[in-house]
Amino acid sequence: MATIIETRGLTKRYGRLTAVADLNLQVEEGAVYGFVGPNGAGKTTTMRILATLLRPTAGEAWVAGHSVLKDRRGVRRAIGYMPDFFGVYGDMKVWEYLDFFAACYEIPAPTRRGLVDDLLELVDLAHRRDDYVDALSRGMKQRLCLARALAHDPQVLILDEPASGLDPRARVEIRELLRELQAMGKTIFVSSHILSEIEEVCTHIGVIEAGRLVAAGTLEEMRQRIQAQRVVRIGLMARAEETMAWLEGQEGVLEVEPVEPNGAGDLRVTLAGGDETLAQLLSGLVGAGFQVTAFYEETGNLEDVFMRLTKGIVS
Amino acid sequence: MIERWQAIFDHPILWLELRRIHRKRWWPGRRFFLFYPVLLGAALGCGVMSMLDDSLGTRLAALVTSVPLVCLVGVASWLLNFALPWIAPTLTATSIARERELGTFDLLRATLLTERSIVLGKLGGCLARLWPGILTLALLAPFQVLWVVAGGSSGLSSVFLLADSMLDPGRPWMWSSLLLAGLAGLLRPWGDLALHATVGLFVSALSRSSGKAIAVSYGAILATRVAFYLLTSLLNIALLALPVALLDTPEAAMNELLMMPALTSLGMVLVEFVGAALLVWAAVWWLKRT
Ligand SMILES: Nc1ncnc2c1ncn2[C@@H]1O[C@H](COP(=O)(O)OP(=O)(O)O)[C@@H](O)[C@H]1O
Ligand SMILES: [Mg+2]
Repeated sequence: MATIIETRGLTKRYGRLTAVADLNLQVEEGAVYGFVGPNGAGKTTTMRILATLLRPTAGEAWVAGHSVLKDRRGVRRAIGYMPDFFGVYGDMKVWEYLDFFAACYEIPAPTRRGLVDDLLELVDLAHRRDDYVDALSRGMKQRLCLARALAHDPQVLILDEPASGLDPRARVEIRELLRELQAMGKTIFVSSHILSEIEEVCTHIGVIEAGRLVAAGTLEEMRQRIQAQRVVRIGLMARAEETMAWLEGQEGVLEVEPVEPNGAGDLRVTLAGGDETLAQLLSGLVGAGFQVTAFYEETGNLEDVFMRLTKGIVS
Repeated sequence: MIERWQAIFDHPILWLELRRIHRKRWWPGRRFFLFYPVLLGAALGCGVMSMLDDSLGTRLAALVTSVPLVCLVGVASWLLNFALPWIAPTLTATSIARERELGTFDLLRATLLTERSIVLGKLGGCLARLWPGILTLALLAPFQVLWVVAGGSSGLSSVFLLADSMLDPGRPWMWSSLLLAGLAGLLRPWGDLALHATVGLFVSALSRSSGKAIAVSYGAILATRVAFYLLTSLLNIALLALPVALLDTPEAAMNELLMMPALTSLGMVLVEFVGAALLVWAAVWWLKRT
């Protein structure tokens, strides 16, 4: 698949602070790329550079083949940008608001009317067409802003923390909308400081930390990274403490802890190694005469990897 | 070509501002503008009367009717001359800075709008908000010429003065300097308006908060005004003192005396327009740079 967003050695300094340091990103066409990092990691800075609102100190970036330094109009035509913090013209009606931005994207007046209705339909705001923007809820304003970013049918969407500050319901609605947009063939570059918020819709994840890309890949690749450290849950009939002592002596076992604090129930074992280690452990357990009722791997949570990757680099 | 014109009239920011003006009903009633034809009629009447008959009685009548007329024109245009240029910066200084404060400016900049069309659209929008004042000032302009030409004394007497001096071929200095002074007086409020509005706009393009933008704009405008005043006075003194010292004929010196203040004030108005254009250009440049 073709690369649609690419950055090479992208750097942005604010005085002595380096917000983005030598960032090399590649986003494939049609992907939903989750750009994850803690607050202050440089997500907004990167996105603003990609949206041609900020000039990088060094490095280069291309969106849909247009350089953000040399062909800003080309880039602007290709992207729809939604900033993390944005205002709306509250004294305008919803349709007027979209009509205004469609005009800003040089869409001729006769085609704008139908377009506005289509956009409102897409973001499920058709029933609020003639209301003032001020009367909308926060989630609705967010969707309106998204509709605004779609006015010129861009190939790429750059969404900066679209779910932040929304209630769970509005968050689900945004997520559904992202799925719909992906189905429409748009590439979506979306940031968040909470991985689980966007994990479900992403096909790719890039983790940024203090301006550097610390990990990037498809969702599968990222999952496999976690599985280098596997967590196995073992259910036992009895003799939990004995089992714990036995397990701690086994090869590849990193940590054993009871699931419940009193130790009566199941055990959680963290181990390093592949499937063989896992099989050996099970047969060893049975061979040693422990009565095993359950033995299964707990699926790793991406949030855990994320926490591990970004551990304490940013204070 | 047609597309070009369409693009100009389909300017989104201008339409946005016009829509706002329309919604907020930011204009005086239509009746407000009825005073213009009334004024025009009265002025015509005076002129015709004084042309038809040269007797003392009709002259007196014309003078009596012209007094309220002149007062109205004078006061209204004086007020507008002063008010418009000093209100405009409040509007322009808040325009772009306010968008920044609200967080709408990035949305605007991320679109295909060029920096130039954002700046010009905002300027147009602010001037459009002043449209009742601008229209009145434009309508009063013909009366104002007379007013200015007369040196602020009496509108009608200056017409006679002008007519007299035009008919006298021996005194070309006289009427040409009167004409120049009239032109300068006519252009002066527009020059002030353009300069003050664009100072506000430029400061607005640079600043983050609209409050600060307003304060800085008015400070800058005051400083410019003082500088202009000093410059004009110095120029006048220099231009008047030099010829009087160099030329021995008092007649020539008199002509110079008449001409110079008119020329310097016209020059200042030109400087204002050029400054305004430069400020717009600088605002666009700044927005492009960042
Ligand atoms: N205009 C600015 N001036 C100075 N520092 C800035 C500016 N914008 C952002 N920063 C700094 O750059 C770093 C990255 O910020 P940002 O890109 O907003 O992070 P994120 O969006 O990931 O939370 C932060 O440390 C922030 O304080
Ligand atoms: Mg951010």
